[in-house]
Amino acid sequence: MPKLPVLGLFQDANNAADAGDALRQAGISDKDYDFLTDAPYPEGAFGERVEHHRLYIFPFIGAVLGLTSGVLLTSMTQMAYPLVQGGKPILSLPPMAIICYEGTMLGAILFTILGIMFESRLPSPKLGLYDTRITDGYIGVLVQCDEAQLGRVSGILTQAGAVDVKRQAAAAATA
Amino acid sequence: MAEHAHHHQPYPDDMWVFPRRETAAQDLVSRTIAPISRYRIALIITGVLLALGVVGFIARAATDGFDDHAPWGYYMAVFSFLFMITGAAPLVAVGFRFTKSHWRRPLSRISELFAVLGVLNVLMFIPLLMVLPPLKNPEVVGHQLEIRRSIWFGGPIGSPYWWDMLGVVGLAVLGMAILWLSAMPDLAGAKLTATGFRRKLYGLLAGRWYGSKRQWNIQKAGLAMLGAFYFMFLLFVQFIVASEFGMALVPGWKDSIFPPLYTIVSFQSSLATILLVLFILRKWGGYEQYIGVSPFWSASKILFALTMLWTYHLWAFFITFWYGRLQVEQNILKYFLFESYGWVFFVNVVFSFFTPFFILLWNPVRKKAWGAPLAACFILVGTLAFNIRIFVGAFNAGHTFDHFLETVPPPAWPDLWDIFMVGGFIGGAVFIYLLAARVFPILSVWEIKEGALYQKMENFMHGRYMVLAKPE
Repeated sequence: MPKLPVLGLFQDANNAADAGDALRQAGISDKDYDFLTDAPYPEGAFGERVEHHRLYIFPFIGAVLGLTSGVLLTSMTQMAYPLVQGGKPILSLPPMAIICYEGTMLGAILFTILGIMFESRLPSPKLGLYDTRITDGYIGVLVQCDEAQLGRVSGILTQAGAVDVKRQAAAAATA
Repeated sequence: MAEHAHHHQPYPDDMWVFPRRETAAQDLVSRTIAPISRYRIALIITGVLLALGVVGFIARAATDGFDDHAPWGYYMAVFSFLFMITGAAPLVAVGFRFTKSHWRRPLSRISELFAVLGVLNVLMFIPLLMVLPPLKNPEVVGHQLEIRRSIWFGGPIGSPYWWDMLGVVGLAVLGMAILWLSAMPDLAGAKLTATGFRRKLYGLLAGRWYGSKRQWNIQKAGLAMLGAFYFMFLLFVQFIVASEFGMALVPGWKDSIFPPLYTIVSFQSSLATILLVLFILRKWGGYEQYIGVSPFWSASKILFALTMLWTYHLWAFFITFWYGRLQVEQNILKYFLFESYGWVFFVNVVFSFFTPFFILLWNPVRKKAWGAPLAACFILVGTLAFNIRIFVGAFNAGHTFDHFLETVPPPAWPDLWDIFMVGGFIGGAVFIYLLAARVFPILSVWEIKEGALYQKMENFMHGRYMVLAKPE
């Protein structure tokens, strides 16, 4: 059964942190709620879970692919057309290094951009449950829960000091 | 707003500013659509200049074609001038974000926005590849080289043209990726209130940005990685431009100092330009509540250091050749420094070093908001002079396939089309930047808000000081 989103809006960041504590105490997994903010808050300010990502792998893969392409391109073309330049070896490293560096960098850059899009799940033309007040500094606590838990979760958010609690139907109108 | 007036303090009242984070987003985003008469006038003037630049370009192409690189010296000079500034500008945001400098916040987006000019750089670079001489001498005369000196030696496939192009295009794409990633939170906020085309564009660029913890973490890591790659790739592309279109075209010019000198001039001029834009926004753009004196005060020290480094590299270049005393070295010094382009060199040194040096050295001026921007104006003139003497000189230094510069060539003075191109493309760059400033908020909203979270004024003994939280 798919989970449904509930968004609690808090004017005070401390109340949002309290809501996170209350949700955890109510048995909601910390993977099922998130804090939406208009600016990056310090790590752990809301008592939230530590987020792991694999972005660092992407540039590494890109760099390896780019370097390999550079090495293959330079060595194979020079082997195919062996022209001696200034008495240097056919496969001399300095001229190869320039192409290899460029290939490595371009590969790393391209894969980093792809990695950012993949890890952030971007881009997507549709916006989910959101409220414009978050842009003005409100804190959103977005909870994913079963339909049966909707009332309880809304109550927890309200008790923690949410100035508004929104559900999916209201979100569709906003979006 | 500045809130410290009655206590004794060793800094100006508006040294630090305290924007209201509740209203910052609305205020800064609304400025991208608000009609401003000064903006329109600037847009018209720079648009006309761009048109003149295009006229100059077409006239030059019609008159001289693309077979010989010599008539394109001033075009190369203005390309390099713009590339130096716009290429290195995003690095200012990247660098100060790395060092977690709080004062950087107002100038981050100003510097990243220069990435849009990567499109102009790419377009201007194409004709330069068309006039770049081939590596192989099509007609060897006397003792000429069969293959000219270059960084590419004999290969590989596509050199120099495709690899040069790939470098400039790659840098432009990378710069725009940094701008996109950095502006994404601001655009996500802006799209909620935007209408029509803007709403569609912001929606496309911002994607599914919610401001979740994961997204902020990915953005932070992504900006750090792309920033590191930008630094590594910028130096590479600058090395290509300096070597390929400067040294390689001057017979016998072999110099390990010139590419680093090129990079230093680039860093100096890009920081200068950013400070100038920052000052214009503060003074005439209505951004006083977001831009205090602290960015100028802090950046002026870095500008001073870059000015000193410029001189050091110039001296290192000069003394090596002067001490070497080979004929080619003497001729290169005479050509670029003392005879042919002696006056241009004089302007270059006075404007790039002496004037900014004394302005930035003088504390009463340096500590004013206008001190560093004043030095910046001189630096930009000096940078243009640098590019004229180097690249107009390189493009008119005789036969590329000669072994060395046997005589000192005369200077190449600009004709009407050159003047059109130099003024026109500089105006064109301003035109594009102004347009971009109407799409992206000119100040990084999320960084301003983040900064507002971490700062407040507190009393300490007899003074009143800013207290700044440093969570990392």
